[in-house]
Formats: sequence, structure tokens, C-alpha cells
Amino acid sequence: MKNITVIGIWVLGLSVMLSTGCSNDKKTEVQKTAEKQTAEPASRNQEESQGIVLLRGLPTLGTQHSIAIVELDPESQKFGDILHEFVYEDFEHPLHHLYYSPNGRLYATGLDPACSLAEIGLHRDASGSPAIKGMQCLDTQGQQVGEDIMWHTVNGKQYMFVTFMGGTGVSQADGGSIGVFEPQTNAVVKVIEARRSEIPEGAPYIMYPHGISAYGDRMVVSSTIHPDLATGVGNALTIIDLNNFTPIQNITIEDAKPVGFPSSPVEVLFVRPEISKLAKPSVLVNTMFGFETWQVPYNEADKSFGNPVKVYDGVSSGTGVPLEFYGTETELFISHALPGVVKRYKLDSLPELVSSGPDIQAEAGAHHMIFYPTQSGRKVIAVQNNLLNLGNAADGDPTDVDFIAKVNDHSITVSDLMTGERLAAVNFKQRYKKGVENVEALFGSGFVHHH
Amino acid sequence: MFRTLVTTTSVAGICIGLFGCKQEPLTATPLKDFEAPFVFGHFQVPADNALTVERVALGRLLFYDPILSKNNQVSCASCHQQARAFADGKHTSVGVSGKPLAFNSMSLVNLLWGPQHFFWDGRAKSLEAQALVPIQHPDEMGQDLDILVKELSTHAEYPSLFAAAYGDISPQHIAAALASFQRTLISANSRYDQYLRGEITLTDQEELGRKLFMAHPDAKASQRGGNCIDCHSQFVTAGFSTRLDGFSNNGLDVEADLKPGLAAVTGKPEHRGLFKVPSLRNIAVTAPYMHDGRFATLAQVLAHYNSGIEPSTTLSPLIVEANNQVSDTAGAISLNLSESEQQAIIAFLHTLTDTDFLTNPAFSDPFNRAQDATAQVSKDAR
Repeated sequence: MKNITVIGIWVLGLSVMLSTGCSNDKKTEVQKTAEKQTAEPASRNQEESQGIVLLRGLPTLGTQHSIAIVELDPESQKFGDILHEFVYEDFEHPLHHLYYSPNGRLYATGLDPACSLAEIGLHRDASGSPAIKGMQCLDTQGQQVGEDIMWHTVNGKQYMFVTFMGGTGVSQADGGSIGVFEPQTNAVVKVIEARRSEIPEGAPYIMYPHGISAYGDRMVVSSTIHPDLATGVGNALTIIDLNNFTPIQNITIEDAKPVGFPSSPVEVLFVRPEISKLAKPSVLVNTMFGFETWQVPYNEADKSFGNPVKVYDGVSSGTGVPLEFYGTETELFISHALPGVVKRYKLDSLPELVSSGPDIQAEAGAHHMIFYPTQSGRKVIAVQNNLLNLGNAADGDPTDVDFIAKVNDHSITVSDLMTGERLAAVNFKQRYKKGVENVEALFGSGFVHHH
Repeated sequence: MFRTLVTTTSVAGICIGLFGCKQEPLTATPLKDFEAPFVFGHFQVPADNALTVERVALGRLLFYDPILSKNNQVSCASCHQQARAFADGKHTSVGVSGKPLAFNSMSLVNLLWGPQHFFWDGRAKSLEAQALVPIQHPDEMGQDLDILVKELSTHAEYPSLFAAAYGDISPQHIAAALASFQRTLISANSRYDQYLRGEITLTDQEELGRKLFMAHPDAKASQRGGNCIDCHSQFVTAGFSTRLDGFSNNGLDVEADLKPGLAAVTGKPEHRGLFKVPSLRNIAVTAPYMHDGRFATLAQVLAHYNSGIEPSTTLSPLIVEANNQVSDTAGAISLNLSESEQQAIIAFLHTLTDTDFLTNPAFSDPFNRAQDATAQVSKDAR
């Protein structure tokens, strides 16, 4: 009896089926959702090749600042596509540099006085895709023009250190500060400030700090340039005693002046055991306007710093404006905005700069970089090519200050990490009418010694 | 009643049987307000089982409905109770036969991320494949799938629910619905999650435990560590997503007593005694521990790792060489953590308890039978 009922039900069902068909002409919501959720093969983590990119709206082109998640796998059909974009409209100046904290929280320093430091919220939607759900500007107690961030533990306590090139007010001619933040709450613990105009003659000062690095209880920050790019230029490092957050020494880093300005030390890297157990502790310094890389020896025993030694001369090597230090497990990379090249060195030979392979040919303004594998497993490097991240005079943009040379290509170029071969490039100005301010890997830079 | 059955259950049978095409669901409502932590990583859902409101709702009903068992007395929730983070508090579970099963009930949490192999021995390669195993197991739910489909087809509610979610009732769609519900079991608001978001600060003891948990010991470098993260690197989700990563022999048994474990699936002798490394989310409420529930407390678990490791040929090398002392005169495999260090790790493990998850109404028994279990867990906790 039960079987007959079932058969009867099926026959009636057939009549329904014949009249309605089972067309697949239209995609259902389920299919659409499924396509989103399964767009990539499960065999690899396709997000490794995605970057978070800070984009700068170009006022003459009518675009707005934004944070974008961009596909950077040159083997992907989506290469250069913005997969997700969060536009923020409230600020004249954009966010500047991205950093992941050790706990995976995403921060950005900012150029706008109203948002010099921010935390960015990331989450995932129902498709599993990453998305930016917002940003929160943090209280910096008046510190402006955030540049670099470093998380460092001293005496058993971790802090978030941030350099503010504008100090407690960009109107100050000799300003600059290091913000010390409690990393869980983002609360300011201390503002380290030592303006030359407010301290005794000859006392250690802090001015226009940008680069930051630390080892043990010693921190090094650079003195780069006033945020208005006109009031003043630095030429020294400041050593800070982290036991009491006090500046204790200045070290002048300067030799030739190929463009007539002070050397403008920019990024610094404290070479230390966690970077390479074989390397001798020392500080590497890139001078933006000196075109040089310097080494400052460090004596761990008495915590003294030796005389600076120039280890790379850009003028004689045909490069200018050295900027960033990045590292993999075996190599250190230094970007040179002119002519747009990334040079590479053996990590274990530091602090000597011993070449480890062919240069990565980028574009004018070569600056920040990330490393990741492609879908096929090829190891690549992506370089953001913009020095000052400003507009272009050809567009009538008043923010154009290409005063040295053309240093804003507005692109990210991707090259094979082993051979240096250029694989792909995306020009954000051409494609999106925006400048490219900074790039960070979606999952962070991995084993990178940015500081 | 008959008309209802006609319109909801027969279409797909004819379609698949005679024409080979699949019946489309009647409705497909995207999940509203779905949000998952970025740090858990990317997740993927099978192309033929996209998450929809209808599928999750159906899966939840099925999960809690004893209709899935032969005697209509055992549901998935019998062994996977929300208040216990979807474990059951028994050494090994007991199903329709009344015989103790071979394994401890696994907690169900954050299954969107991680494993390509389910069960302690990895014998199922997807949540969908996993779902049908206990239903048919003679000691667990003992149900014949054909009979189950018929029962569901004559039910007052299920035919329309299946029609909305999948188009028809089939074993595959039963499994798919259960998998859909389980994929929504997301835990992301433990104290540790709040700590990661910067909302709270851990106590000194919890922070010490966190550091020990994360560290591999290196006695020569004076680096003390609990060696936990070496195997439990995916401890906030459901495990590893790469092939057979995430299976380990953690020194429970000597060579002669090694259970097949993963070798039962792969046939490889080097996989003897390897079992799935479980999520540690809500670990404080999922006792007893290990694949056979041999440890009643976290203190016993820590004592095992600290000084109770049994050597065997497949023992994890990460365990073998982990020691907080430069030389161990006793020659035993031992972490040599102090009592206070073990207590600190336990304190940290307690930060993984997500009360919101354990009481989330969206995961609860839609038939309102959960109160007794919750009360029992509360009693146990006291």
C-alpha cells in the first residue's frame, strides 16, 4: 500500500515536472551565492596574493581616499582588480602606512591632523571574502602626521611605538614626537618629545621622526623632514633609552649633499639577533636626500653606538632616495625611488651589504613592498612605486611637489623574486584615478623586518 | 495532506530518476548579518550547498530531531549538546544500541574553517560526508536512509522545508542541511577573542599561560614553553585545511597499545596512533578529553603532556624534543613545566570559553529540550 502511494505521488510529480521543466537558464540566488563562496580552488589560500592598498584620492580627478583589497597575483585574471573598497570621506589627507600588530589588529598612520593614527576593522562576509567594516581614529593626544609603528617589548611590557613627524603640532618648526601606546587599549602611555627650542643647547633632541627600530632597551628614530617639506630637514638619529623613554644621544648621519639638502635619514633598521643570529648588532640607516645607506655599530656590552660608516653610495651607484628596509628569511631588500629599483642583500652578512641577487627593476618612486606566492607557487615581490604619494602637475594638482625628479609612478609592479623578471603592473592612476599610498599583504608581511 | 506531498516531495524524484536534472529550491534567502572574524581566514562552502537561511533552519531542526534515528530517540544533539560546546560530557558517546562508542564526542565549532578530514581518525572528507555516518552507524543512530527519507516525506513540516531549501528530500540533502547548520556554529567572542580585539586585558596568570601556550621550549635559550602551539596552531578554529596536517600521536599509548587512528583511513603504518588535533575553543566545557575521553580534567591533560608521554615510533617529534630543562636525568620525555606554569596554561585555556556561543539561541534546540542539558552542565561546572 505504501509503495503504491509513493508511485502515485511520483506520477503526479512527473506531470508537474513536465509542465514546469527544469531549466537552468537563470541563475538562482543559491547559484550566485555558491559562485561567490567557491570562486577559487580549495587547494590553496588565494588570499596570500591579495594586498591591502591605501589609495589617495586625487582632487583634480574627482576621486576619494580609500582602503582597497586588491588582487596582486599576476597569474590571476583578476590581477589589479579592487576586490573590496572602503572609501572614507571625512579627511583631506589620506591614511599613510599600514601595520599589523602582533595580535593581528590592523593599524594605519595618517597624514591628516584629525586622524594621525587609526585602527581598521576587518571581517568576513557570508561568502568568506575579507571586507573592511570601518576605521576608528585614535586619540594621539595631539600628535600629528603619523609615520611608522613598531611593537616592542621592554622590561617585560609590550608597547606600540609610533613616530609622529609633526609632533604635537605641525606648526612647530622643530617638532616631532614618539607616541608610546598601550597596545591593548590604544591609550597613550607617554609622549616622548624633545624639541631643540625647548631643551638645553647640546641636549639630545627629537625632530621630524619617521623611521623607528629597537633592540632591547635601546630605540633608534630618524630625523627626516618637516611635514610641510619646506620648514626643515634633519640629518641625525636619536637614541632613546626605553627604560625611561628618554632621548640620550644624537648621531649625525651625513656626508655628501647631492641635492643640497641635509641628508634626511628616513628608515632605520636595528640589525639584531631576531633578524639574523649571525649578524652583528648595528643600525642601518637610509638617507633620503644623501642617497646613502649607513651603518652604525652597536656594542651590546656597554650599549654604546660607534661612529657611522657609509656602506652604500647612491651617487656613485646611480641610485637615489633610498627608502625602505624589508626582509625575507634570507634576504634584506632596500628600495630606491630613483630610478626605481629594489636592491637585495644576504641577511646573514648584515650589517655589511653583500648582494644576494639581481636588482628588482621597479618604477620611479619604488617604496613599499610585499612578498607572496602566485597561484602556481612562484615567489614574487610587489613594489609600490610612489615616493611622496602626491598629485601630478599635469593634472593641475597643487599637491604636485616632484621637486627632485619624477618619483610618482602611481603603480604596483610585480616581479619574479628569483630572477627579477617583471611579471605584471597595475597603474592605479590610469585605472582608478587614484594614487597608491601604501601596500601591505592581506595577511601581513610575514617574515619581514620592516623595523 | 496528499496534495502537499505531491507538490513537495515527488518532483525531484521524477526529475532525477527520469531526466537527470536537479530540482531547484523554491527559495534561497542569503544569510542576514553574517559576520566572521577576519583572522580566522578564508572559508569555502561546497558549490552545491551554499549557505541560505532555509538550509540552515532545516539543518537545525534535523540536528535536534530524533527522527533521524532508528528508534526516534537519538538526535545529533544527544551527543553534541550546545551547553557543552556540542560535546556530550561522556568518555565515549552512547547511541541507539546502548553500547559505548569507540570515540569521545567531538566538539562542533568554527567548522567553516579548517579540516578536510572529519572525525578523530579523519574518515570523512567533508561535513556533508560526515553527517550521514552516525545516522547509519548501527550503534549511533542506526537509521536506514531510505526509511528516513520516507519518514521525512510523510512528516507534516519537513517536505515543505526541504522543498524550500533544496527542492526535494534525499539523503544528500539531509546531509547538506546538517552541514549548513553546523557551518553556522561560529564561536568568536571568548575572552581570548576579546583580547585579540583589544577589548580586554588578560590577567597576569592568563598572559603567562598565553605565552607558554605559544612557545616551544628552548632550554638553552632560557625560553620556557608549553609546546601547545606546535600541534594546536589552529586552536581557535576547527583545525587544519591542508591534507593530513593536524593529525598527531600525542603520546597516549606505548607502541603495543597504539590504536589505528589515521592509519585506519590511510593504511599507512606511520599513521598508527595519530588522531585529529581538535579545536581548543570552549575546551573547559568539553571534558573528558582525548579521543577516548581518558582524561577527566584539564589538569590531567597538562600532567600528561608534562610528564606522562608514552614513547612510540609514531610519537610526534615536536613532543619528543620539547623540554624546559637542558638535560633530563630521568631520561623521560617531559616538558618539565612547574605547577604554576601548568596552572597558567589552564587559565589561558579557560579564556577560550565563549559563553555567547554556548547560549546562542540560534544554535539551540528548536524543540526546546535543551534546558535539562544546560542545567546539568551548570551543575557539573559547580
